[in-house]
Amino acid sequence: MVISNTISIRYLKTIGIVNNGFNGRGFANPYDVTIGPEGNIFVLNRCDPARRNAIRVGVCNLNEEYLYEFGYGFGDGDGQMMLPVAMAFDSKGRLLITDEHTNRVTIYSDEGEVLGKWGHKGESEGEFNGPAGIATDSSGTVYICDQRNHRVQKYTADGRFLAQWGSQGTRAGEFNLPWGLGLDAENNVYVADWRNDRVQKFDSNGHYLKTIGDSEVEEEHLARPSAVSIDENGNIYVADWGNERVQVFNSEGEVIASLKGEATLSDWAKDFFESNPDEMETREISDLNPDVPDHLNNPYHISSQTEPFFWGPVSVRIDNDNRLYVVESNRHRIQIYEIE
Amino acid sequence: MSQDASLMAHLMRRAGFGATRNELEEYLSDGYKTTVEKLLNPGESNHMPDDLIRRYHVDQSELRQLDCAGAYWLYRMLTTSNSLEEKLALFWHGLFATGYAKLNQARALLNQIDMFRQYGFGSFRDLLVELSRDPAMILWLDNNENHKEAINENFGRELLELFSMGIGNYSEDDIKECAKAFTGWTLKNAEYMSVRASKDSIWPYGRIAWHYEYRANDHDSGEKKFLGEVGNFNGEDIVDIIVTQEPTARFLSTRLFQYFASDEVDDDGEQVIKAMMDSYFESGFKVSAVLRTLFNSDYFKSEKCRYSRVKGPVESVVGTARLAGSYQEPTLDVHSLWAQTMFMGQGLLAPPTVEGWHEGVEWIDSGSLVERINFAAKELSDPTKDGVQDIIRRVTSGYRDFIHPENLVDSCLDFMGPIQVEADTREGLIEFAESQGDLQLENGKTDEDGSAQIARLIGMIASTREYQLA
Repeated sequence: MVISNTISIRYLKTIGIVNNGFNGRGFANPYDVTIGPEGNIFVLNRCDPARRNAIRVGVCNLNEEYLYEFGYGFGDGDGQMMLPVAMAFDSKGRLLITDEHTNRVTIYSDEGEVLGKWGHKGESEGEFNGPAGIATDSSGTVYICDQRNHRVQKYTADGRFLAQWGSQGTRAGEFNLPWGLGLDAENNVYVADWRNDRVQKFDSNGHYLKTIGDSEVEEEHLARPSAVSIDENGNIYVADWGNERVQVFNSEGEVIASLKGEATLSDWAKDFFESNPDEMETREISDLNPDVPDHLNNPYHISSQTEPFFWGPVSVRIDNDNRLYVVESNRHRIQIYEIE
Repeated sequence: MSQDASLMAHLMRRAGFGATRNELEEYLSDGYKTTVEKLLNPGESNHMPDDLIRRYHVDQSELRQLDCAGAYWLYRMLTTSNSLEEKLALFWHGLFATGYAKLNQARALLNQIDMFRQYGFGSFRDLLVELSRDPAMILWLDNNENHKEAINENFGRELLELFSMGIGNYSEDDIKECAKAFTGWTLKNAEYMSVRASKDSIWPYGRIAWHYEYRANDHDSGEKKFLGEVGNFNGEDIVDIIVTQEPTARFLSTRLFQYFASDEVDDDGEQVIKAMMDSYFESGFKVSAVLRTLFNSDYFKSEKCRYSRVKGPVESVVGTARLAGSYQEPTLDVHSLWAQTMFMGQGLLAPPTVEGWHEGVEWIDSGSLVERINFAAKELSDPTKDGVQDIIRRVTSGYRDFIHPENLVDSCLDFMGPIQVEADTREGLIEFAESQGDLQLENGKTDEDGSAQIARLIGMIASTREYQLA
């Protein structure tokens, strides 16, 4: 539990287990999560090369029931994906997924039917070079981080180009390989400016407003942030990917909470150990929260050895019930927290 | 080609993965001795940043499997500015061969490679101590099963036989005493990690990486007699005794000589090895001092030493890809590059046994040779590759409207190395160049067809016997 005088964030549960196969319960290098119109949890599985033909979206609920999945395999054909990055439902309940390799956005129904697509490689208006984070507002406008063009682009719900802002650089309003983005209630746009180690806030027309996380103070300093989400009070949740943590800022940009992860066994994980008591026996005498020696004392190595901690926190999302979802690509799970 | 360039190219084939012409020019401006010193004292490496790799290749962030880890290390070799640092790490990987198959823990293996980078140039004593504490090595040679009440000799035996002194220089009792000294040297959560490794378990949440743990209550602190010395030795004390032995100096110097200078040791080579042994003791067991003696020796610089080693598969793949300018950014099919090393007989991070790979001419059989030639020819005959374009540009820049086939062959050999080939190989290449027809230029530049024509010749050179030699 993390409590400041303005916010309380309580660990709720973990959903997930590594999926080593080509379908079924579990996740394979999840890269994003979003909540569907019916309240179901949609998980985007980027998958590794050994399982790339299983690239897909898995759907479950908070009770850890694995409901269904959809995917069309690895490739650049209709509905297929190669390096998917992020997804968002639009105002019509359609699921939009970006793919940084095929340079397009594919539109699916919530059951996985392919409804459309747009985008191709280029640097002109509307074109992509590595589309990454995606967010939609209530009017259907779509915002996308175009990472290797170092900009944000705005589209209509069906992919007609509306506007763009940003270029490569380190000054205010410039980007270096931006990854995720999020919107607040006023449709201000928060961009995880990944290789500039900061989050930048813009109004919906791309006017620069504020920078968060570029502080020299360790607690406030972001390292390669990958995603950002904003709660109903304007607090800003950042997947601080390079630090293997989630930092929470108030609207003034002050850190009000910091999460490093406290995963427990999901129901799916418990099922596994019931069938594998030899692993459970030795696990029970183990310290999965060890002190790591000095030469491995950095966030990546610590998380690689500390199972409860976030490892590869690529995405953060907040649902309508103020639950925070943290997606870990390297641990194939989602840690869920309640915000009070 | 100048003698200096030829010698420098030789040094870089041995102390690195070859050199592009741009790199060679930089080394030549420093001179041979300074270059040797820079290689031996590399400082901070410039290479493809980890964050870019991990963002693009989620599998290389998680490192669940062998191929992901192999590809990750290949990126480092392909882009490093410290070529000897990686070449030496590859040497230690072959000498202290630790394989994925038993461990199922790629992060631990890559941590071991990091350790080789950190300690590989320094004191052999420190390196052996770190090796003994390395969790991948501990599980690989069962030291987690080496207990005070029931020793397991596996690590102790290999430490003496394969890692330091060589067989015939110690007794069976020495092995037992050595094993006793390393009781209690294990890894954190050894019981759980051992079960997971044996079952290749990734559940529930993927791999859990390892680190060293010393269990004092499982260490035999009693008196031991080792190589004639008596004391309550712990592991560090054993290593302290090992490194002062002449057989250790000979073992290390010989292995370094065979890896960096020549597969075969003749009388002249024996003299170099003796000088390397002297440097070992005079420097306080420093590996860099031993290598300095080798690289600055007349033997190493001699014509006799050149092209006297068969390139290992990893050397071959990395050298070719560096020359072609490939994989300088995260690339989707980098895993196939790792697979190439496997097909050629040297699966990175997957040595066949604790003895490592059998090197020299044993690298070559009909199957692996075909893989080598196909790979090198395909990479280097592609005129869209940056490195190939650079060679083409340099080859044509000295001519205005026509290049005679003989000159074309000599120029390509020059800018690909320089590479020296036998007279009959050169004749064959000239015949091939002639068979492609006249190469026309316009103001010293080729059109697309001309570039493809030169690239085919470059690919043909990569198919020669001499290209497979370092």
